[in-house]
Amino acid sequence: MTALQDRKRETGNGEPATGGRAACRGRPQSIVVLSVCVLLPVRHSPLLAQLPPDLARERAAFSRWLATAPNSPLAAIALAPIGGGISIGSDGEVPLAGLPRHRLTESQGSVVLTGPEGRRTLPRGRLTPLGGYTMFVAGPAGRSTVTLFGPERARHDPSYFPFDSALVLAVTLARPDRPASRRILGPNGLEVEASDAGTVAVTMVGAATALHVYRIPGSSSDESSLMIYFRDQTNGNGSYPAGRFVELNAMPDGRYRLDFNRSQNPFCAYSTVYPCPAPWPGNALPAPVRAGERYEPK
Amino acid sequence: MRRPDAEEATRKMHRAGALLLALSLSLFPLGLAAQSPAGPWRAALELDGGSLRFGLELAGTGEAGMTGRLCNSTRCEPLSGVRLAADSLVLEMDDYAATISAVLAGDSLAGEYRNVGNRGPRVIPFHATRGSWPVRRGPGRLLGRWDATYYTDWQTSPRVVEFRNGARGLEGTIISNTGDYGLFGGWAEADSFAIARFDGSFVFLLTGRLVGDTLRGLFHAGARSQTPFTAVRSTGAPHLKRSTEVTGADTTTAFRFSFPDLEGTTVTEHDPQFQGKVVLVDIFGSWCPTCHDEAPTLVQLYREYRDRGFEIVGLAYEVSGDPAIDRRQVRRYRDKFGISFPLLLAGTNDTEAAAATLPQLIGFTSFPTTIFLGRDGRVRLIHAGFYGPATGAQHAQVVKEFKAEIDRLLAERPPPPASPHGPP
Repeated sequence: MTALQDRKRETGNGEPATGGRAACRGRPQSIVVLSVCVLLPVRHSPLLAQLPPDLARERAAFSRWLATAPNSPLAAIALAPIGGGISIGSDGEVPLAGLPRHRLTESQGSVVLTGPEGRRTLPRGRLTPLGGYTMFVAGPAGRSTVTLFGPERARHDPSYFPFDSALVLAVTLARPDRPASRRILGPNGLEVEASDAGTVAVTMVGAATALHVYRIPGSSSDESSLMIYFRDQTNGNGSYPAGRFVELNAMPDGRYRLDFNRSQNPFCAYSTVYPCPAPWPGNALPAPVRAGERYEPK
Repeated sequence: MRRPDAEEATRKMHRAGALLLALSLSLFPLGLAAQSPAGPWRAALELDGGSLRFGLELAGTGEAGMTGRLCNSTRCEPLSGVRLAADSLVLEMDDYAATISAVLAGDSLAGEYRNVGNRGPRVIPFHATRGSWPVRRGPGRLLGRWDATYYTDWQTSPRVVEFRNGARGLEGTIISNTGDYGLFGGWAEADSFAIARFDGSFVFLLTGRLVGDTLRGLFHAGARSQTPFTAVRSTGAPHLKRSTEVTGADTTTAFRFSFPDLEGTTVTEHDPQFQGKVVLVDIFGSWCPTCHDEAPTLVQLYREYRDRGFEIVGLAYEVSGDPAIDRRQVRRYRDKFGISFPLLLAGTNDTEAAAATLPQLIGFTSFPTTIFLGRDGRVRLIHAGFYGPATGAQHAQVVKEFKAEIDRLLAERPPPPASPHGPP
């Protein structure tokens, strides 16, 4: 059991679903199983009874992704700029045990891997396996990065503040002064070209804060997310010190759902491999947001 | 969209049937063989903003191995694998590292679609019931071509949406500046309509209502992305950028390329087979559905014109970057369409990286991109994207334009043969 899990047990706070969720993990997600997930903890904790089934399902899927995906941040070994070239392998600049020396270089926008088996161009934005490791090349041409993942992974199951229905807001997006795009670090520590989507007003302790919203590209050009990276009074005191990300979801009436219960830590909270996005200027809430993902320092 | 009562009644009957079946199986244990999921299924992905309906067809048995297809209207794509263990069904889409896993209970399947996202899981609830989606035709006032405007935050972008009635009821497609999104299957009810396409990776749903003379609705991509749109009837005036205005090129010198063919031999523009000929350079990928739409047209053009001084060369930009895997994929593509012109392994399918391998192109954006070279080897015309058969009249028009361009270029006088002593 990791230090994080120990702490969770000590405080007894945050994720009361440990029993219920553990029972669900690895099981098929049928409707029947889901209702068991939600109903089981009712006897133990009234808090989870309020957790909406879709949020419970999202959290279970995220836990499973962390525990099994080849590109889970818990399996990350290094995230490095390719720059003028970088060597990986048992005696490389990025040491990878048991892997013969390979070199990654970038020329004319293409990232090329050279090793004992020859030369090959690596696809950008996709996972490429290499001798028990996994590579992920991303970033704009000329500033490419490689994230390397290994077969071992740290154990960690995210913990959450109790669900708070008062922190599910319906907000209206206000037009930015000067629409522009900007290179920012996404939750996974990778640079993306994000477009300024405007602001949403959130009132807490009597004060309105205009939170900046950016549209961050997704897995295809048609899919993207409206994201807010925000700080609040729980940072460093129950939540991750650098801030958390939360996504806006469209509602049928043209407004957006801003559900702080869906706030998530950037990947730098899971592994020191990832750079932390700098806080977005102005996105600091004057009150504690006791909802969404928690963080306890190791 | 609300399900019609008749359909609901059918679902209830199916459920009752499943109960009876379950009861009879429990009463007669001798008949207790694992239930086969073979047959057609009415499948759906539950997106945040609505249901994306598609057809799922399964065949074979658990012992002998099963196969399956995903269908959008009349067009079906094979699944790379179907595995059944007890009541757990896994549908594999290897090309996209995606799976659907579901539990089979009587006449229903429930589970989820999943592929590996880069910031977390990409998971969408999935369910299906036995049978085929009812054929629902669109009303006459919906059919035809519409000029649509998408609203993304504070910017707009143009699309064209086409609706038709086909053998499976309402169908259609969406066309952007760089080509079409393939065939969508659809349904309509009173003033509401929806068309959808799910091919294992792309998750697209267009829903809306006809309000007076205007369509209003949402374009859904993936579980969450929703883009509002409005559309008015096309007047015939151009709404999209012409496909020949998207990508430009340096035309001061002959178009250069140098890549290995599927046997590993380097092929360049200097090779004798291209000298003095009209050459069509096709930038494609075996992973690209629109390229699959274009391939039969290219095969036909090659058959029709090759004896008159016309050549085609395909430049493949593939997914893995591993020459052995990419070569296999391109061979499969070549064999599927009976392609006899050379196909070269040019790189990976990242747009920026692909553009870097062809530095003479300006503004390369789409797969496929079709480049026409004159007999002097210089770029004369570039078509970005391709209108597939799903676009009907647009498809016929683009084939006509390709032929007209080849005819025009073939009629040009061949350049004088290069003199070994230089110009006089």
